[in-house]
Amino acid sequence: MRIALLPTEAGGSYRLTILLLASLGVLVSALPVLVVTIMSFSASDTSGFPPEGYSLRWYGDVARMFLEEDTSSAQSVVDSTLTSLLIAVIVMGISTAVCVPLAYALARGQRRVRAGMELLFTLPLVFPLVMLGIAFLLIAESLALDLGLWRIAIPHVVLVLPFVLRNCLSAMNGISVEIEEAAISLGASPLRAIWDVVVPLMRAGILAGLIFALIISFNEFTITFFMYTIDVSTLPIWMYSRTVSSLDPSTLALSVFIIAADVLLIVLVDRLIAGKGNLF
Amino acid sequence: MTYSMTRRSLLKTSAGAAAALAAPSILSAGDMMFAGKEVRLLTWSDNTGLAVLENIAKPFEEMTGAKVIADRTGSTSEMVAKLRAAGDKPQYDLITLAGVGAVELAADGLLSQPDLNQLPNLADVDPRFRTGADGHGIGYLLWTGGLIYNTKTFKEPPKSYAEMWDAAHSGRLFLPPSTWTDALDTIYATDRMMGGDGTNAEAAFAKLADLRQNLLTFGENPAQLSELFRSDALDIGGVYAPAFFADELANPEKSNMGATYDVEEGFFADLMYTIMPKSKPGADDVVHAFMNYTLDPKVQGVMAEAVLNGPINQKAEMSEAAKASPFIVKPEQLNEKAIVHDKSFIADVREQWITQYQQTLS
Amino acid sequence: MSSTTLTQKQALAFATPAFIALLPFLGACLYILRFSLSAEKGSIDGVSLQAYRDLMTPFFGRSVWLTLKLAFVASAVVMLLAVPLAFLLTSLRSAAARRLLTVTILLPMILNLLVQAYGWILLLGPSGALNTLLKTLGLIDRPLFLLFNETGVLLGLIQTSLPLAVFPIVGAVRAVSPEHLEAASSLGAGHWRILRDVTLPLLRPPLVGAASIVFAFNASAFAIPLLLGGRRVQMMGVAIRDMISPLFNWSGAAAAGTVLILLTVLVLVVSAWLVRITTQKTGG
Repeated sequence: MRIALLPTEAGGSYRLTILLLASLGVLVSALPVLVVTIMSFSASDTSGFPPEGYSLRWYGDVARMFLEEDTSSAQSVVDSTLTSLLIAVIVMGISTAVCVPLAYALARGQRRVRAGMELLFTLPLVFPLVMLGIAFLLIAESLALDLGLWRIAIPHVVLVLPFVLRNCLSAMNGISVEIEEAAISLGASPLRAIWDVVVPLMRAGILAGLIFALIISFNEFTITFFMYTIDVSTLPIWMYSRTVSSLDPSTLALSVFIIAADVLLIVLVDRLIAGKGNLF
Repeated sequence: MTYSMTRRSLLKTSAGAAAALAAPSILSAGDMMFAGKEVRLLTWSDNTGLAVLENIAKPFEEMTGAKVIADRTGSTSEMVAKLRAAGDKPQYDLITLAGVGAVELAADGLLSQPDLNQLPNLADVDPRFRTGADGHGIGYLLWTGGLIYNTKTFKEPPKSYAEMWDAAHSGRLFLPPSTWTDALDTIYATDRMMGGDGTNAEAAFAKLADLRQNLLTFGENPAQLSELFRSDALDIGGVYAPAFFADELANPEKSNMGATYDVEEGFFADLMYTIMPKSKPGADDVVHAFMNYTLDPKVQGVMAEAVLNGPINQKAEMSEAAKASPFIVKPEQLNEKAIVHDKSFIADVREQWITQYQQTLS
Repeated sequence: MSSTTLTQKQALAFATPAFIALLPFLGACLYILRFSLSAEKGSIDGVSLQAYRDLMTPFFGRSVWLTLKLAFVASAVVMLLAVPLAFLLTSLRSAAARRLLTVTILLPMILNLLVQAYGWILLLGPSGALNTLLKTLGLIDRPLFLLFNETGVLLGLIQTSLPLAVFPIVGAVRAVSPEHLEAASSLGAGHWRILRDVTLPLLRPPLVGAASIVFAFNASAFAIPLLLGGRRVQMMGVAIRDMISPLFNWSGAAAAGTVLILLTVLVLVVSAWLVRITTQKTGG
């Protein structure tokens, strides 16, 4: 029961304030998306909010983009989407696989070390992305290796590390040493105890980390802009070359489509990892 | 300096033109001479880049069987940054970009000089615009900048850049972002307006500082500007290229947008180039053929109409509408009103001007 | 030592994969640091402090100040919104409502920023929905300028960094043991008192952690000031971009980047230190 945090009834000014601020937060998050979504159903080709009539014609355009061969870009939208997905899955897998043990080590290790490490792993977030992008590009070009997909995947892993680690760490916070000790006293090896007892308890945090990794990698633009090549390019890059030329309703429809794809992915990951009805 | 260079290369091109006359039309329809070959092209991300694909790449593919793989991301300075980072391993065969970019990359030694003998169409190009960047850049189209205005506010097109200072446009003015060449044009135009020759930056900056009250935004994103004009939130702005707004200008009732070059202080023209990096991945013949094709009279005409760039081929085939269009500058209209920057002067002041412009106005 | 406390060796083994993943980043950091000390602007050549010396202008100073100010204000507002959102999210009983709210909060991370900026212009632009409404109601004569200035940038920063704060706080709120709250409640403490005396002190470390992340994220922002600030709000991220792309002053950009990082790290370290001494005090 969380009654004390947000009372379901009564609570007077407290409840009102919390609800008011929370709705303000929702408004700030959702308003532009809402406007864009409404506009994508506009019947006319000139913008102007709210639109005078509604239709699905722009979604027809989007469907055609995917079905017909597209020559307006180095990679077709289908290829870019698949590349984006593949990279996002790789990034999700690697970042989670490395962050779970680290979070465990930090939570059980010395406090001072933990503070330092947390800071170190927050650094990728602090760097101006443009700077990081050009640095990665110059390094990649000087390596004289054909990195393929990894050109983009490696920087993405770096970018999501802070998020995945934070989520894993906060999941570790609630797990007391006693639980593990109990498992060990029942005859499990320490590693076994971690795998069987701690990791399942971290599930919610791991899941949140996975989802962040997925969303960030799937939508990352700045660093990818420096790293992509004619042969390996992602959906945000494809999208960019469209939005620069015009913000017609078909671009908005495509944005709504991308949001839908993201939501679908989130739900999918949620189902896969958390089983039915957990966390989100 | 630019002109003496052009004259020198003119001699070479005449020889090339003669050769081309001897062997009529290297490229003829239906001739699939480059089947299986690839051209990797880097071009702008905006509507001008899109037009390159539709009006140049597509017909070229159909005609020659070559495959054009186009990367349509970035502005000129971003292209330069990418090519510099890639050094001697470029992923592109051809790049279309603004003059400054070609000059910079040529100075870095990253470009090779195209063989003019393989570019017969150059013979028809206005001699002033054939080559540049020390022979590394082949002229492509003219980028022109003037004033953009709101047709609801202005019944008649504004006649001077001074209009931007009018207090009536408070909060309804846009200016080019400091990072674009158009910002340098704006500084130049301001000095001209004050009676200078365009190079007295101090006087221009003092005057530009007064624009702060009027300024709503820098025009970093043309699509955003288009929306602001449509919703009647902007009155005027410049120096800016009508090229971004080909569709809007054709439809002023919906977009509220108008553009003019007929300004007292003059308008700006900048030659854009096609360039070829050293150690490019593609084959020489197909890359030259593509370069030549960008100068084809038909292509030049179609491109002019599509994105309001000025054609440089004197035989450019344009529709009557395009010929009459006030937004497309034809080579013969490049009179004393047209300001074509001396590239070496711009290279000298560029860094200083960009920084000061940003500091004065933001 | 019980078997569940890690030895140093074990801890190192657990941390190694993450270090390997971080290695390319550390490489990039060193590369940037080296570049900032280059005597040439466009390549690494020689050693000089010139790039740093060139930064010492009033303009850059103002840019630093503006960056810190906006990042700070945005973080404060984000925290004010994120904590209630986290409370709401953890107290929703219906799974469907929880999912919907979660996805809503994540939206700003998903949608292309250019398209979001377009959404804001339609709403808050000089002729946007809000200004039109206020004008029709006769409340204003001249449009309110909510975009293309610091207000617009703040709004964008708040919007894009809100999800970064909400989810760590949700995790922390879940970990607050209900007994604490029930005990306080049974002692007759009101909601505001419980919040002030029990919940917030318990949540202090994760709250400061979340605020630091938001601060760091916002201090390095560049797309938002570019799109919603109309380029008029010269935050450091924008200044760095300008140096990279049209000015090709890569050593200058590296130097400015290094300064930005050092400043942000300083803020992070100080806030972590503050948390440590204050929790020790309340804990003791």
